[in-house]
This record gives sequence, C-alpha cells and structure tokens, in this order.
Amino acid sequence: MSCDTFKPLLMGYLDEELTALEAVRVEQHLEECHDCTAELDDFRKLKEVTRNMRVVMPDDKYWDEYWSNIYNRLERKAGWILLSLGSIILSAYGLYWVIAEVFLDKNVHPVIRIGVLTLIVGFCTLLVSVLRERFFLSKSDKYERIKR
Amino acid sequence: MNPIEEGSAIERCKNGDREAFGLIVQKYMKPAYYVALGYVGRPDDALDISQDAFINAFRHIKRFDSSKSFFPWFYSILKNLCLNHLSRSRRRKEDSIDQMVEEEGQSRIPVETVNPEQGAVQRDIEVRIGKALQRLRPKEREIIILQHFQDYSYQEIADLLGIPIGTVMSRLYSARRELRRELERMGVRY
Repeated sequence: MSCDTFKPLLMGYLDEELTALEAVRVEQHLEECHDCTAELDDFRKLKEVTRNMRVVMPDDKYWDEYWSNIYNRLERKAGWILLSLGSIILSAYGLYWVIAEVFLDKNVHPVIRIGVLTLIVGFCTLLVSVLRERFFLSKSDKYERIKR
Repeated sequence: MNPIEEGSAIERCKNGDREAFGLIVQKYMKPAYYVALGYVGRPDDALDISQDAFINAFRHIKRFDSSKSFFPWFYSILKNLCLNHLSRSRRRKEDSIDQMVEEEGQSRIPVETVNPEQGAVQRDIEVRIGKALQRLRPKEREIIILQHFQDYSYQEIADLLGIPIGTVMSRLYSARRELRRELERMGVRY
C-alpha cells in the first residue's frame, strides 16, 4: 500500500486510536518508510507543544446564562409574532377606514384625497422596492465567485 | 444524558416542552461553541451563533427524525449559520480594507496553557498558535479544536459531526499538516 493510504492512519497511531491490528500495520510501514517516520515525528512534536493547551472558554457566567438567553429569546419570539400580527390587523383595518372615510365621503377636499393617495402609493412603492431588494440579495451574492 | 433519555427529551420538545429542550442545550452547548469557534474564529460570535442555532433547531424540531442522533442534524443548522455569518462578514470587510488588514493582523483563536506558571516564551507560542489556527480553513480549525485542544476521541468527533472515523483521521491529517506549515511560515520553532 502507498504512503497516502497510511497518512491518515498516522493520526490514529499518534493519538492511540487504532486497533491493535491497524497499529501493527502502521509500525510495519514505518519500518520501511523514512518519509512517513519523519512526518510522524513532526506531528508528535506538534502534539507535544500543544499537549496542555486548551481553547480559552468563556467565563462560567456565560454558560450559566446560556440556556436562559435561549429560553428568553424563544419566549420573546412568540411575543413578537403576536405583536406583529396584531399590528398588521389593526393597520389594515385603519387603512381601510381611512380609505373609506377619505374617498367615499364627498365632503372631503380633493387636495386631501390627492395627498392621502400619494402617501399610499409612495408607501406601497417603497415596500415593494425593499421586499424585492431583500428577495434578490438573499438569492445571490454577486461577490461569491471572487476568491479571496 | 444517555441516548434513550435524549430521545425522550426530543419527543417532549416536539410537543413544545421548552424545559426538555434545556436538557438538550445543556448537553451540547459546549461542542456547539467549539464548532462555531472553528468556523467563525471569534468567541463572542461563536457564543451568539451557537445560541441562534439552538433557537432555529427548536423551531424546526418537528422535522427532526428522532431515530437519529441530535447533534449531526443540529450541526447542519449551526454550520449554515456560521457560513452565513462568514459571508456577511466578508461583505462588511469589503467595505473597509483598513479594517480587514487590521483584523487579519490581530485576530487569533484564544488558546492557553493549562499550567499557570508559564513563561513569556510559552505565551508567545500560544499567541502564534492561535494566529496559525485562525488561518486554517474552517473545517480544519474545527477538527483541530475538537481533537487537539479539547481531547475529544475520534469516536466522539465522528458522532458529533456525523462522519466516519476514517474521515476524522484524514481531515485531522490535512488539518495538522496545514497547522504545521502555518507555524513554520510564522517562524515558530518547537
């Protein structure tokens, strides 16, 4: 078998994660292959220098608050959904009411009608524009093919 | 928590039991943090993203097949969030070349020696190793953090990431080789 087959097994050998049979096969290969022996020595030195190193953990207080943060956010999310739903219903009703009052009432001055109509069209245009931009941006990143 | 207890907790989660989900979070929050740290490289971001991933997991828990392990399914959610975060960060960095240069020069994965009586040389090596880690690809960082710095066994890593042990070994080989090259480039002698 070639060295490429043994290279991943060198890791298992170094970390004592191989079966006895696999370890014997690696040892037999190492007896014949100076390159793999030298590479194993390099990896052993790397392991030695980092033997007692650990990734610095966040303070205990972060772990104590970890679950409560998640719990609160789950709870708040439900609140936000209900709040948004209620706002949408009331806004839609308000809009309907304004339209009915302004456009069906013949006593309302035409300037006010034009003003309200302009406001509604402007709001709808902005809304559609923002939604369209969000939709297309989420589908494609124009820089994704650029290698950095 | 053994697999049977975990399965039972998942079933309760599917019925909306948030307390049961708390047990799952307690079990996996640290591996989730390490995986996220491997991808995004910053402790604060890793904490935030791992929490977001748990929230997403709870919302979609009904889609999870209870006969399988939780973490590999959760891992795919976490990984996607990390990649989205990296993509957004890249876009932000494009807006500020100065910030990008500054960050590349300073950022590092925080590692430290367990022995408190360390010398200045050892601290220097820690900083350099942290910087070298930061330069690895996310998947390489991830496996180095799990195995090299947190002593997870190959079987535990295979279970966490949902990959065969052979893949753990080959990924670890390429990751250690890259780490060694980075350290050589930085002139670290050991």
